[in-house]
Amino acid sequence: MSDRIDCRKATEQLHDYLKREMTPELAEEIRAHLDRCKPCFNSARFEENYLRLLESCGRQRCPGTLRARIVALLQVEAERD
Amino acid sequence: MAGRKLAEGGKPGQGALYSLMAEPSAAVRSFDAEALPHLDALYRVALRLTADPTQAEDLVQDTMLKAYRSWRQYRPGTNAKGWLLTILRNTFINDYRRRKIEPIAMDLEAVEPHALFRAVEEIDPEGTFFSRIVDEKVLEAVDALPPEFREVLVLSDVEGMSYAEIAETLELPLGTVKSRLFRARRLLQARLYAYAVEMGYIKPRESRDE
Repeated sequence: MSDRIDCRKATEQLHDYLKREMTPELAEEIRAHLDRCKPCFNSARFEENYLRLLESCGRQRCPGTLRARIVALLQVEAERD
Repeated sequence: MAGRKLAEGGKPGQGALYSLMAEPSAAVRSFDAEALPHLDALYRVALRLTADPTQAEDLVQDTMLKAYRSWRQYRPGTNAKGWLLTILRNTFINDYRRRKIEPIAMDLEAVEPHALFRAVEEIDPEGTFFSRIVDEKVLEAVDALPPEFREVLVLSDVEGMSYAEIAETLELPLGTVKSRLFRARRLLQARLYAYAVEMGYIKPRESRDE
């Protein structure tokens, strides 16, 4: 298979590739390019670390006091129906 | 005591509200099962939009009341998280954003810094410096992004929503979501890198003359 994806194109689409936001066909082309191109492969690892960093910020929880207040308000609201 | 015990929380899909009420209606049951599980995500997004914990709490509370009152408009089993986030965002824009008419500080289309990787590939090709930045500092950098960038980035990269879900939630074309995300990530990376340099997590090579 010829390498239809050049480095610039691969770099531009790395995030979409890592987040599986593309057609399987395009994903396959990018993967083939990454297998062949060491700099782009490294670049993908780099972007993966970046995405992982942001994901880890998503663990913050809603405070229990807020949750309790909302449930109490909804209960009043529901009993009024 | 005859009532259900709160600590046990009932069966899966039966949350706090259900267990508090003697005879929960169908609406209460479905709200309990489909809306309340998203409180954590709503709170995180509210924090990023308001950058203020007190305002974030008020925003989530207002959102949940509005959502309950218009719950009939929600189609069960569809994207409840997106539906709730749309209400949250509209409430934020209408009632919370203090600086109403604010000229966009930069031309969003013009922001396209180079991919950071090219600048660091020889000193830190895997981007290990990223993992040294604590969550709090990452979130500060997210909060400092232009709002149009911040919202897509938070929904995608922090909350893990798909591009299509984000487009639906923000009522934007898919192409706009993608191009904003592309620029938002590059801008955020540039700022995280600047912070990492400042903290000594990464040492830039002496800048070469162009």
